[in-house]
Amino acid sequence: MLLAVLVLVSVVFSLIAPGFATVGSLDNILVVAVPVALLAMGESLAIYSGGIDLSVGAMLGLGGMSGGAIMSGLYHGQTGTDIGLMLLGLGVALAVGLVGGLFNGFVIGKLKLEPLIVTLGTLGIFGGAADLISGGEPLSSFPPSSFELGNGSLVGFLPILVAIGIVVLFLFLFVERMTTLGRHIFALGANRDALVRAGVTPNGVILWVYALAGVAAAFAGFLKASQFQTATPIAGQNTLLLGVAAVVIGGAPLTGGEGTVLGAGLGAILISVLENGFVELGLQSYWQVVAVGALVIVAVYVSQVQQRRKTFGYRHRVRAGTVPAGLMLDEGGSEEHAT
Amino acid sequence: MSQATQAVGSTVTGTGLTKYYGAVAALDNVNFEFGPGLNAIVGDNGAGKSTLLKILSGVVRPDSGSIAVNGKEVDLKTARDARAVGIESLYQDLALAPTMSICDNIFLGRELTKSYFGVKILDRRAMMAVARNALAEIRIKMPDPATAVRTLSGGQRQAVAVARALHFGARILLLDEPTAALGPRETAAFFDTLRSAVRQDGTVVMVGHNLPQVLQMANRIIVMRAGHVVAKFLPEETSVEKLTGFMVGSAS
Repeated sequence: MLLAVLVLVSVVFSLIAPGFATVGSLDNILVVAVPVALLAMGESLAIYSGGIDLSVGAMLGLGGMSGGAIMSGLYHGQTGTDIGLMLLGLGVALAVGLVGGLFNGFVIGKLKLEPLIVTLGTLGIFGGAADLISGGEPLSSFPPSSFELGNGSLVGFLPILVAIGIVVLFLFLFVERMTTLGRHIFALGANRDALVRAGVTPNGVILWVYALAGVAAAFAGFLKASQFQTATPIAGQNTLLLGVAAVVIGGAPLTGGEGTVLGAGLGAILISVLENGFVELGLQSYWQVVAVGALVIVAVYVSQVQQRRKTFGYRHRVRAGTVPAGLMLDEGGSEEHAT
Repeated sequence: MSQATQAVGSTVTGTGLTKYYGAVAALDNVNFEFGPGLNAIVGDNGAGKSTLLKILSGVVRPDSGSIAVNGKEVDLKTARDARAVGIESLYQDLALAPTMSICDNIFLGRELTKSYFGVKILDRRAMMAVARNALAEIRIKMPDPATAVRTLSGGQRQAVAVARALHFGARILLLDEPTAALGPRETAAFFDTLRSAVRQDGTVVMVGHNLPQVLQMANRIIVMRAGHVVAKFLPEETSVEKLTGFMVGSAS
């Protein structure tokens, strides 16, 4: 269904905005979608596990800033060490993402605190740390290979960013569908007790989830900094909204236990299509944020209705007239015994 | 058939089990022997049935007394200890992940994997095949193991939990009022599940309220009252009236 919405929106835009349906525009849509998609895929795992990670936007800024600080600090126009510096910057950014994510996971798992509050706290910590790196100033003068990373193409037409996005998507799909960890993440969100009684310690799963979310966010930040050749502490502004929106639009309920990163990826593309379409229509890009916010609410509603339909006993009660279609109010527990 | 159900005739015996909560004796010098088949525990509220099950499942430790499985004394400090000796509990909330498939639930925490270049990948095909067998063993009508558990009825969910417990080496299955939340049709289906478990020499210990059902199903019945075992019966020697008499204390 999401795919249908995506196609519909794209068709509408290409009809009313002449510049929309061009190859350049398509490339641009995908490139813009990549950082949001990375953020959303990491966020997906947190949401599948029944939690949420509010710090991913701040981590995007911190990842870009820490990688950027290394690159701009060590690069002074010299040649030869160019690619090495870029990789060092990338490594530092990913390491910062890993440490930040592990911190989230440790606090949530070990101290048994609510992910919402913990990551709200680290949103502040990561955001503040990003400012501290440069006193809030943007950083630039990166090695040329970082420009290539953010703006180059493979075999002439496939932007490197898009290629990276596809590879990361497959990695996350692998974790989601082919690994024991993936099963345990979903089980943690669906019924923590079930996981515990099956002999699995949730803390290990939680560490993985937030570590991957942190690394993905920092990676997105580094790619964004490379693309614009500037790292700024505010790079993550609004991206938390976009990341969570992509997950929710992708069909994953915030109650956890289900979803697919494929949906999150498509959600990110849809968000990017909206932005591009609005620009082509000559509207201010701020409208994108407004539209995405509204879309989140619609998506949550649709997802709730679908949840109810999937649960045993729903049709029976609709037929019996005790609930109007799509508006059943009680959730979870009591449903299974409703015959 | 799984390794679980091939273990013929597991017995669990309790000797002098005593458990106090403050000054109240939840169990006072309780002795029993549960063997293959369905062992039913009946009794009024507060008789000590649940405490007894909790002790057997390793959740509660008795103040004194001992437990033996197949004649060998065991020390059940945790639920894990109990599981290690083949005692598995079916929790009232079933401990299932509703959004996940029947197969995922059966294998949760014990997933089968294949190794490619040192990377462990889920072996879905093998798990699906085993899940189909495990469900076929308990002879209850069930959709494909790929179906999400939340689409199942209460009875079917219970069957999934039983299949999981039996498949993974449960020699002794503990059930605490397993049909309390089920409708009549579901209850009948669940007892079918239990019957086939018992036919395969499983040992089931069940706390039950439905006395006619207990009489019809059980191989052994013990009656508890105020922390004591007040009577032990074979189903053919007793009746609902007799059981009720012992439960409330008017017979002895």
